[in-house]
Amino acid sequence: MDDYTIGVLTNIGLFSFLALSAYLLLITGEMSFGQQAFFGIGAYCAGILTAMYGVSLPLAAIAAMALGALAALLVGLPTLRLKGLYFAMATLAAAEMIRILFELLHFQRTVEGELLGPDGTQGFRGIRWVFESGVEPLHYLALIYVVLAVVLGLFAWIERSRLGATLRSLGQDPELAASLGVDVNRLKLGVAAAAGALAALGGVLYAHHNTYIEPRNFDIMLGIHSLAYALIGGLGTTFGPLLGVVVDIGLVEGSRVFEGYRMIVFGGLVAVLLVFRPRGLLDERVVHWLRARFS
Amino acid sequence: MFVDLIQNTLDGLTSGAAYALLAVGFTLIFGVLRRVNLSYGPAIMFGCYAATWFHVHFQGGLLLLAVITIAGTVLAGAYVERLCFAPHRDGSAIAAMVASFALWMQLEELAILAMPKHLYAFPALYEGRPLALGPFSLRVEALLMLLVTVATCVALHRLLYRSRFGLAVRAVIEQPVAAQLAGIDLPGIFVRIFAVASLVGAIAGYLIVSSSEQVTPMLGMWSTLKGMLAMMLGGLGSLPGAVLGGLALGLIEAHSQWFFGPQVRDLTAYLLLFILLALRPSGLWTTTRSAS
Amino acid sequence: MAKSALFLILALASLPAAAQRAQAELECRFTGTDFVYDCLIRLKRAGEPLPGASITVGADMPSMPMAHNIRPVKAKPGKNPGEYLARLDLEMRGEWAVKLRLAGPVKDQLILHYDFDEKGARPVIRSGRLPRK
Repeated sequence: MDDYTIGVLTNIGLFSFLALSAYLLLITGEMSFGQQAFFGIGAYCAGILTAMYGVSLPLAAIAAMALGALAALLVGLPTLRLKGLYFAMATLAAAEMIRILFELLHFQRTVEGELLGPDGTQGFRGIRWVFESGVEPLHYLALIYVVLAVVLGLFAWIERSRLGATLRSLGQDPELAASLGVDVNRLKLGVAAAAGALAALGGVLYAHHNTYIEPRNFDIMLGIHSLAYALIGGLGTTFGPLLGVVVDIGLVEGSRVFEGYRMIVFGGLVAVLLVFRPRGLLDERVVHWLRARFS
Repeated sequence: MFVDLIQNTLDGLTSGAAYALLAVGFTLIFGVLRRVNLSYGPAIMFGCYAATWFHVHFQGGLLLLAVITIAGTVLAGAYVERLCFAPHRDGSAIAAMVASFALWMQLEELAILAMPKHLYAFPALYEGRPLALGPFSLRVEALLMLLVTVATCVALHRLLYRSRFGLAVRAVIEQPVAAQLAGIDLPGIFVRIFAVASLVGAIAGYLIVSSSEQVTPMLGMWSTLKGMLAMMLGGLGSLPGAVLGGLALGLIEAHSQWFFGPQVRDLTAYLLLFILLALRPSGLWTTTRSAS
Repeated sequence: MAKSALFLILALASLPAAAQRAQAELECRFTGTDFVYDCLIRLKRAGEPLPGASITVGADMPSMPMAHNIRPVKAKPGKNPGEYLARLDLEMRGEWAVKLRLAGPVKDQLILHYDFDEKGARPVIRSGRLPRK
C-alpha cells in the first residue's frame, strides 16, 4: 500500500471518530457544533502524557477519554434545557472557548534535553510515540481501524438493544420518552459524556499520527464538517457517518479529476443530494428496507 | 484611563455597527424562514470578492464597487435560497442548514479559484487622517459606518412597518400558519426577504472590507459567526435585539481586547454567550419569545 | 561556583540528546503551474548537514487538518550533502504545515510552517504572545 493510500485511509479513520461523535448526539435529537473541542482535549491530554511523562499510549488514551467525557459533561450540564439552534450555538461557544484556552496554554518541560509541550499558538511538537515505539504508518493505520471496529461493534450492539431504541426515542419524541419513565436528563448527559470520550479517543489517535498539534487544528471548520458528514451519510445506522466521511475524503478527494474543484463538486453534490434525501444517504427508511431485504 | 474607556467605547460602537448589520441580515432569514443560513457570510464574501475582482482588473470607484458587492451578494444569496431553502421549505431545517454548509464550501472555493492570493487590498472607504475630538480620535470610516448603519436600519424599519410587504413579513414572523391561511404568498416572501437580508449583509461586508482595506476568504465564516453571535446575544429572531446584540458584541470585544488582548476578547464574547444561553436562552433583550 | 559547574556539566550531558534532533529549512519556488512548488530541503543535525536520510514530504493545512490529501513525495538527494529536492503539489495558496517524515540515520517527523504564494514559500514566524493594542 503506498503512502498516499495509507494517508487517505488514516484520515478517513480519524475523521470517523468525530463524525460518530456528532452522530451519537444527533440521534438523540441534539445538534452539536462543538465536538472538535473534545477531539482537541484528547489530543493535548494524551500528547502531554506520552511525550512529556513517558506514559504508554493505552493509558494516555484512557486518561484522555476520561477528560473528554468530563469536559463534555461540563458543557452538557448547563445546556440541558437548550434545544435546536440554542444548543448548537452553546456548543459552538464552548468549543471556541476551549480552543482559545489551548492558545493560552503554555506548559513545557525539558525531557532529555529538549523542551517539549504545548506552547500556545506555536503548537505542540514532538509527540514522537510512534517513533519511540517503532510503529510504521501501516501498523498505525491498522491500530486506528481496530479501535474503530471495536467502537462500531459497540455502537451496533447498542443499536439493537433497548438502549438504542430509547436513545432514538429521545430524538423523535422526548416528551413521550419521559412519560414512559425514561430519565431524559441522565440519558442525555450519558450520551454527551460518551460522545466526548469518543471524540477524545479520535484526538489521541490524531495527535500521535501527526506528531504535532496546534489550536487551529480544532476549529469550527472541523466541527461543522463532522456534523455534516454524519447528516449526509445518514442517521439510520452507524455506518452513515462513515459513509459521509468516505464520500468526501475518500471518493472526491481520492479522484484527481476534481483537483482544485473538490469543494465545488462536493458542495453541489451534497446540496442536490439533500433535496432528494433530506435525512442523508443511509436514513432510517433505507436502513429499514436493507434490513428487511437481507434478513 | 477614562480616555481609554471612551475611546474603546467609540471603537466598539463602530465595529458593533457592522456586527449589528450582519446580525440583522442573519435574523431576517432566521426570523422569517426559521432556518440557519451558514452561507450568509460566504455570500457576502462572494460579493466582496466580485468587487475586488472588478477592481483588480478594471479599477472602480467606491460607489461602483459597493453596487457590485451588493449585486454579487444578492446573486449568491439567490443561488443559496434556490438550492438550500426553497426545496426544504416544508421539510427539514437541518437539511437546509447542511445544504447551506455545502454551498458555503462551494462559494469559498470559487472565490479562492478566481482570486488565489490569501489576501487582497481593497480600496479604502476614506483616505485621510482620523478626526481629533479633544483627546479622542475618531476615524472618518467609523463615522461613515455608523451613519450607514443607522440609515440602513431606518430604511429597514420603514420597509417593515410602512409597507404591505413589511406587513406580510411581520405576519409571517408572528404567525406563519395564519399568514399562509390568510393568503400571503409565503414562497414569494421568502425570496424577497432573502434578497433584503443579502442586501443588508452586503452593506455590512462592504463597510468592513473598505474600512479594513483588505479582503480574505476567511471573511465568509467570520461574518456568519459574528452575525450569529450578535443575534443570539440580542435575542433570537428579534430585529431590534439583533442591532443591540451587535452593538453589545462590539463593545464587549473592544473593552476586553484593550485589557486582555485578542484571545481573551474572543473568549469573553463566547463565555458571555454561553452563560447567557445557559441562564436566559431568549437573549438579552427579548422578553417571552420562545425558541423554535 | 560549584553550582554553576554542576549546571554546566548537566547542560553538557543533556546536550547530545537535544542535538540528535534533526532540523530542516525549506526553500521553494513556484513552478508556474497551480499549485506546484519545487522545494529544496536543507536537513541538519547539531548544526551539521545530514546526508543519507530518506525524506517523505507531505503537507496539511493547520485548519481542517485531515481533509486535504496531498500526495506524499519522496525527496531526492540534492547537489550538496544534507540537501534534498522535492516537488510539492498543493491544493491552494496559503499556510501549509509541511511534514518531513525522516527515515535512515534519524527517525523523526518534522513539521514546518510555510506560507506558499505566487512566488514561493516563506517561513511563517508566529510570535509567542500577541501584542496589546
